[in-house]
Amino acid sequence: MKQVKIFSICFLFLSLVLGVMVPALRAAEEVKITAQEWEKNKRLMDDPRPVLTTTLAYKKVLPPDLYAKLTYDVEEMKKLWAEVVGFSAPNEVGKIAPEIKPGTYSYKDKEKYPGLKELMIPMHYEFFKAGGPPLAGSYAEIKVVRTRQYYFALPIAKATKEGIGRVQLDDNGIIKEETWVGGLPFPRPEGKFKANQVIYNWIKTPLPWESMYATSVNKGFTRTLRVDQEMVANIMQIILKGRVHMEPYGWFDERAKTNGEYLQMNFFYNAPRDMYGNVIGMTSYLDPDKYDQMMLYINALRRVRLLSATDIQDAIGGADYAYVDNNGLGQKLSTTIFPYKNEIIAEREYLVPFSTWDGSEYMNEKGEIYNLEWERRPMYVVKMTQLDKNFVYSYRIVYIDKETGLLTHVENYDQKGRLYRSTVGQRPFIPEFGKFGFGCGLARDHLDLHTSWTNGYAVPAPWLTRANVSLRGLVVKGK
Amino acid sequence: MKKKRFLVLILVAGLTIALTISSAIAEEFNVFGRPLLLFGYATQEFSYGFKDKYDTESNLNSALMNLFVEGDYKITDTLKFYGSSMLTVDWIYQLKHNDNSWNDKLFAKSKDELNVDDKYWQLLKEARITWTPSDFLFRVGKQIVSWGELLGFRIMDQINPLDQRRGFLDVEFETTIIPIWLIRADYYPRLNLSWLQDLGLEFVYNPNADFIPNQDLKLGNAEGGIWAPNVPIPGAHLATAISNIDTPKKWREGNEFGFRAKANMLGAMATLNFFYGRDNSPVTVPVPPFISPLPPDILASDGALLLHPFQAGKYPLLKFVGLTFAKEIIPLRASFLGDVAPTVYLEALYAFDSTFTFTNPITTLGRFDQSDDFRSGIEVTWKVKITPLNARTYFAFTGEFFYRRIMDYPSFEEIAGLKQNNYQTFLSVNTQYFHGKLTPSFTWIHDINSNSNYFIPKLVYDYDYHWHFTLGAQLFKGAKEGEGLQLFDNKNQIFFKVAYKWG
Repeated sequence: MKQVKIFSICFLFLSLVLGVMVPALRAAEEVKITAQEWEKNKRLMDDPRPVLTTTLAYKKVLPPDLYAKLTYDVEEMKKLWAEVVGFSAPNEVGKIAPEIKPGTYSYKDKEKYPGLKELMIPMHYEFFKAGGPPLAGSYAEIKVVRTRQYYFALPIAKATKEGIGRVQLDDNGIIKEETWVGGLPFPRPEGKFKANQVIYNWIKTPLPWESMYATSVNKGFTRTLRVDQEMVANIMQIILKGRVHMEPYGWFDERAKTNGEYLQMNFFYNAPRDMYGNVIGMTSYLDPDKYDQMMLYINALRRVRLLSATDIQDAIGGADYAYVDNNGLGQKLSTTIFPYKNEIIAEREYLVPFSTWDGSEYMNEKGEIYNLEWERRPMYVVKMTQLDKNFVYSYRIVYIDKETGLLTHVENYDQKGRLYRSTVGQRPFIPEFGKFGFGCGLARDHLDLHTSWTNGYAVPAPWLTRANVSLRGLVVKGK
Repeated sequence: MKKKRFLVLILVAGLTIALTISSAIAEEFNVFGRPLLLFGYATQEFSYGFKDKYDTESNLNSALMNLFVEGDYKITDTLKFYGSSMLTVDWIYQLKHNDNSWNDKLFAKSKDELNVDDKYWQLLKEARITWTPSDFLFRVGKQIVSWGELLGFRIMDQINPLDQRRGFLDVEFETTIIPIWLIRADYYPRLNLSWLQDLGLEFVYNPNADFIPNQDLKLGNAEGGIWAPNVPIPGAHLATAISNIDTPKKWREGNEFGFRAKANMLGAMATLNFFYGRDNSPVTVPVPPFISPLPPDILASDGALLLHPFQAGKYPLLKFVGLTFAKEIIPLRASFLGDVAPTVYLEALYAFDSTFTFTNPITTLGRFDQSDDFRSGIEVTWKVKITPLNARTYFAFTGEFFYRRIMDYPSFEEIAGLKQNNYQTFLSVNTQYFHGKLTPSFTWIHDINSNSNYFIPKLVYDYDYHWHFTLGAQLFKGAKEGEGLQLFDNKNQIFFKVAYKWG
C-alpha cells in the first residue's frame, strides 16, 4: 500500500510539473518544414513544381515578423556586395564561347555548339547526354539563363567589408581565428595563400542560416539505376561563431567562445526503417588541429554512444560520400590533420547549374535532371593535393564561385589517381534575403558506379537552442 | 480453442504481410492534423542443425517468423507517442507436427512456450508517451531504458529484462530486450562550463505494474525446445524444472529506482549510476524431492532417464552503484592503419549484498547467502584499413574483456556457473563490400574459466532498403563437459534469414 502511495505521489508531482509548464510549451513557436511536409510539396523524383515561388515560398512559410527581419533592400544589397568583392558577375563573363546565348540546349546540339565543351566543366559536359546507366544525373537538356548578380544579406556584406584587411592567415596559410569576426573572410583573395583564402570563403560561408532547421530526402541508385536507398533526414544546426545575421550576434554563447566551438548540429533520420530514430550529434571546433566531436543515439540500443571523431574517411552507410565530403568539402584546413597543398589551377568562367531560384529542378526515372538554371559564372578552380599518402583521396579539384565563395562542384581522386567520388551542389537563391537555400545535390561514386540524389529545404530557426542540438537533443529526437 | 487462436494468429500475420507490401503504409498518416509515421518489418528465419543428439536435431531446428510494426505520433512539437508491436511465431511446431524424432525427443511439448509469443507484453513491445518541455524529458509507459557502454557484455544495463529463450543470437537484436512499465524523468541543466559541455540527470522509477523477468533458456526439451542446455548426468537427461519461484507482487513489491548522471566532458562521455531493484533472473535452491523422474515421460527417446529438478526461488534485491566512461584515444591514430583512433569504453558496477545460491558440492544441497559482486568490462573499438583485403572500406574491430568477482565467495561451497573470479572475452570484426551491400562479420565469445567458445560467422546482403538476407552459423566448442558454453556443443547450426523492412 505504501508503494501505491509513493507511486501516486510521484505521478501527481509529474502531472503538476507538466501542468505548470504547458503555457511555456505553447509559447514557443517552432517554424519548420518537416520531411513529410517537404515530400508533400516536392517529391524527389519527377516533380517539376516550382515550390520556392509557390507553396513553400518563404513569405508564406515564415511568420511575418521573422520574414521582415531577414529581408533587405535588394538594390542596396547588390550595390554593397559589388563594392565588397570589387565586381559584379554579369560584367565578368561572356568572353568564352560568346555564341552560347541564353536558351534551351539539347545534348543533341553538342556538335552544333562546340563552344559548350570549352564553356562547361568537363564532367558536366560528359554528363550532358541522355540519361541511363551506370550513373544518374545526366543533363539531356539544359536551360541557359543570363548571368545574374548574387549578393549576401546586408549584415553579412557589412561584416565582410569590415573584415577586409583585418582577417589574416598565418605563415602556414591557416586562418588566424581571432582576426575573423563574421562574413566572408577574403572577398578579394590574393597573395601567397590565395587558394587557401578561396577555400576559407567556402568554409566560412554561413549556409543557409546561422540557426537552421532543414529537411532532406535522398535516393541512391545502383549501376543499373535501380533505387537501392531511400533516406529521409532532418537537421538542426547552430553556427556558434561569426553570427551577423541572426541573434545572438557574434558568439552564440560564452561556452562557444571559451571552447572555440564553431558549429553544433543534430542530424536525425526518419527513414529508412533501420535508420529511423538514429541521431548524430556533432560539434565542430575552430582549432584546425582538433577533430569534431561525434555522438550517436543508436535506435536499437536506445543509448547515446560516443563515436570516433577520427572515423571520417569511410563511406557513410553505403552512400557516395564520407564525412570528409560533408557539404562537398567537410574538412578544415590544417597542418596536422590531413594537410593540403592548395593551388589555383584556373580562374575563368564556366557554364554551371549555379542556382535555380524557383525550386523547380527535378530528376526523372532515367536519371536525367531538368529545370536547372545554367549560367556563366566566374570561378576559381583549386587543386587540393593531399600530403598524407594514406588519406582516401590523393587530391581534390574544387570549383568555387568568385562572387559568392560557393562551392559548386568537387572531384575527388583516389591514391591511384582515379576519379573516385564527385559532388555537385546547387542552392536556390532567395533574392529578398540575400541568402542561398538548401537545394539539391548529386554525389557519385565513379568506381563502384553508384549515385545519390538529394533535395531539401531549410528554414531559419531562431528558436533553436543548445537544448536542441546537445545531449538532450539526441535523446529527445532518438527512438 | 487452440485451433481458433491459431487461425486468428494466421489472420493477423496475413494482414500484416499484406500491409507490409503496401507502399501506402510507408507514407505518413495524418491523424487530427498531426503526423503519424508507421514502420515495420517482417522476417522469416530458418536454422539447420548439424548434430542428431537428444537435445537437438540434425535437420531443420527452427522456422522463426517476426512481424514488427512501430508507430510514432507527434501530438505536439514536444509531446510524442511511440508504440511498437510484434508477433513471433516459430513455424517449426507446425512443420514437424508429424515428425517422429521431433516428437520422441519431446520438442513438440515446448509448443506452448515457444510456438507463438502471445502474451500481451510480447505482442505489445513499447507504448510510451514522451513530453520534452524546455530542458526536461518525461516518459511514461512500457519502454526500454538502456544503461551502459559495452555492446557485447551487459553490465550496467540491468533495468529491462531480456528474452533469450531462443538462444543467444538475437532473433532481432532490438527486440530481445523486453520493454517494461516505467516512468522516466530527465533534466539537462544549461551549463556554461568550458570542461563540461553537457550534463543529464536521469531518474527511472519502476512501479512494478507488471513483473516481467528475464526469459532465460529453460531446462528440458519439453520446455526449452531446441535450445534446452545439455546438462550432463550419467545415464539421464535433465528435464523440465519443477519450480516454485516467488515473484514480487504487482505495485506492492518490487518497486525499482534508478538514477544516472550523464556528462559530456573534456571530449569524453561519463556516467554515474545508482540502482535499487530486483534482479531480473531468479536464484533457486533445490527442494525435496530434489531430482526425480515424473510420469508420463520417464525415459527419453535414447533410453536415458528423464530427471526433473525441483526447486524454489525468488527474485533477489539488486543494489548497485556504477560508472561508465568512453573516450577516443586520438594520439593512437596511425596513418598506416587508416588514421582512425581507437575508442575505449569502460563499465564497472559494484553490487551490494547480492543473493546467490551456495551449493554444497558433496550433498548438492543449496542455500541462499549474500555477497558483494563486482562486474567490469572494457571495450575497444577500432576501425582499421586493410587495403589488400578491402581497398574501399575499413574493418571495424570490437574487442571486449569482462571481469566479474564474487567478493565473498564461499570457501567450501560453490555458486553454480560462477567462480570467485570470472573472465570472458568478446571479439567482433566486420567490413563491407560492393558499396555497402555485402557485410561479412565474425564474432567470437570466449569464456576463459570454462575454456569454451561461441563463434558466429555471418554474411548480410542488403539488396536495397527493403530486402535484406542473412546467412550465418552458430558454433559452440567447450573443453570441459557441463561447463560454460559447452552445454550447447550440440547446438551448432547454420541459419538463413530474409527480412523485408518498410518505412
